[in-house]
Amino acid sequence: MKSLGSIRSDFAPWLDKSAVPFIRFEGVTKRFGSFEAVDDLSLSIYEGEFFALLGASGCGKSTLLRMLAGFEAPSEGRIILDGEDLAGIPPYRRPVNMMFQSYALFPHMSVAKNIAFGLKQEGMAKADIAERVEQVLKLVKLEDYAKRKPDQLSGGQRQRVALARSLAKRPKVLLLDEPLGALDKKLREETQFELADLQNQLGTTFIMVTHDQEEAMTLACRIAVMDKGQILQVATPTEIYEAPNSRFVADFVGNVNVFEGTVRSVNGECITIETTAGLDIAAKSEAPVTAGDNVAYVLRPEKLKIAVEPIGGPNVMEGEVWDIAYFGPVTSFHIRLDNGMIVKVAMVNATREGPLQLTWHDRVFVQFDEDAGLVMTV
Amino acid sequence: MSGAPGDEIIGIKSRDAAEGKRGWRLRPRGVFRAVVIGVPYLWLVALFLVPFLIVVKISLSQVVVAMPPYQPTFGDVASWWAGLKQLSLENYRWIAGDDLYFDAYVLSLAIAAGATLLTLLIAYPLAYGIAKASPAWRTTLVMLVILPFWTSFLIRVYAWIAILKPEGLFNQLLLFLGVIDQPLVILNTPVAIFIGIVYSYLPFMTLPIYASLERMDHSLTEAAADLGSPPLKSFWTITFPLSLPGVVAGCFLVFIPATGEFVIPDLLGGSRTLMIGKTVWLEFFTNRDWPVASAVAVVLVALLVVPIALFQRQQARAG
Repeated sequence: MKSLGSIRSDFAPWLDKSAVPFIRFEGVTKRFGSFEAVDDLSLSIYEGEFFALLGASGCGKSTLLRMLAGFEAPSEGRIILDGEDLAGIPPYRRPVNMMFQSYALFPHMSVAKNIAFGLKQEGMAKADIAERVEQVLKLVKLEDYAKRKPDQLSGGQRQRVALARSLAKRPKVLLLDEPLGALDKKLREETQFELADLQNQLGTTFIMVTHDQEEAMTLACRIAVMDKGQILQVATPTEIYEAPNSRFVADFVGNVNVFEGTVRSVNGECITIETTAGLDIAAKSEAPVTAGDNVAYVLRPEKLKIAVEPIGGPNVMEGEVWDIAYFGPVTSFHIRLDNGMIVKVAMVNATREGPLQLTWHDRVFVQFDEDAGLVMTV
Repeated sequence: MSGAPGDEIIGIKSRDAAEGKRGWRLRPRGVFRAVVIGVPYLWLVALFLVPFLIVVKISLSQVVVAMPPYQPTFGDVASWWAGLKQLSLENYRWIAGDDLYFDAYVLSLAIAAGATLLTLLIAYPLAYGIAKASPAWRTTLVMLVILPFWTSFLIRVYAWIAILKPEGLFNQLLLFLGVIDQPLVILNTPVAIFIGIVYSYLPFMTLPIYASLERMDHSLTEAAADLGSPPLKSFWTITFPLSLPGVVAGCFLVFIPATGEFVIPDLLGGSRTLMIGKTVWLEFFTNRDWPVASAVAVVLVALLVVPIALFQRQQARAG
């Protein structure tokens, strides 16, 4: 496979054929009445991974996590953790811990007691418990808050206590259910890096459920994109973004322009697509296609160039600025092409003036290279 | 006269009045607040505090054969001073000197405490079951708990006579099943009082416990399980402590009225079990000794003020 993106990592056990998965879902199905929350799903997760289950609400990602924790039993299939089939093992005997979306901190116990709760169940000696509590509190930088009750903490502090409590027992796997969902944007960004550092430092396998693609991309080694109880793609964040295997994945993660059409001519890798909107697109296709195939050309907005003067290169289109959204680091333009189609173009504001002084209804040229987008067979 | 002093009288600082608009906004809001708070206070003063003070006054009077059957009566303003001098603690000394009253108080408190405990033991699992039922069922089940209130309390207690008497439904059932061969004597014993109180006050215990269990975050017990705690242990370490406000509220809602209960011991308990409510009734209607009856009632209130104060403190802390 062609290497994608700019982030290199030596940690990639999923590429190693001899590596044994730490967690295996084998043909797992979960039904609630007639509703199939998880549908014949198989998945392997490796030790030390930070794995993200990404999907819209109701896609089955939380059910998957709850089955691993033991709160739900699979209707069919097996879940294997570290060589052991988890069927029939109640949640209180599983070597996994969960950080709940609501944090589920015990309101009648202090921070220290909350963290000590799991250790007490193990029958750990009092002195050892005190030491471990102190240790994890230090890990989440809350040493001074041991005696506080949960309702005397801010949202961010509660999130850290929940994290500390779920880490205190040193689980084989830490399950995180929307771990940053309740935090405001600024705090979420800070906490993302801390969480990633923590996972790196501990080496524990983390499995996270999230509906936030940005969160999944920042934190995870690999992401599984889920829809309707099934996994659509399991890959690294860069692969998910740059080489989505379906239009759903492409559309769910980030923004896309989709040109639908038929292949008119094939010349090795280079093909010509005649779109339904009447445009001809010169493209490079990794997937083998033949003339007459129905395809979609999927193009990320930042892969397009925009200019006020006519420009050279393949795939030049003319249009009018239809809408402008200024985000600060980038500006997103909606360009209405002369055939009526609207294309999204994102431009980085590399200078304070912005790259072009564009305003509504300006005439512009839009251009993209043959390999800027992805040819998908329909 | 300038406007400022007049404004002072109705509670607005002249500085605010000078600002015009702000003064206008403050005034109706202040009046509204006073009305909202004042109405329930007036209600309590008129219907609780004043009658109670009248009872206290009667408890300090002497019994006479007259109408009303006590003196002084403070009929006219001129004799007030003479009347005040006649008030004494004589009736309280009388109560303290006779074991009958002491025994009735102790018995009432003991029966109320025992019945409260029994009610708790029945109501907790009931409330827990309702709280754990599916939301669709919950409303129906709560309705069923409240349903007995649709019938008169007195009729329901009468119905228990028909159930508990020697030839009643309960004994007939046991005889039919062959569990016993002689009817059990339940009616006119303390057992019947316990049954009556537990039955009548069950909703008052069930509802507050249900309320505290129902609003509890389900993920708390899941978190306890996740951290290695088996279900029964999670109940005692998480669920029960968090439902304590409901348990305490329920206990007081049962214990306080059960202590002064009159109808249940009168109808089900027979003449040998003399509780304090019955004592007040006897003093009042049989002996026509209003002052002693009042004194007995005042002492009862004093005995119950202590748990009420504890209850309020607990509620304030929970809030």
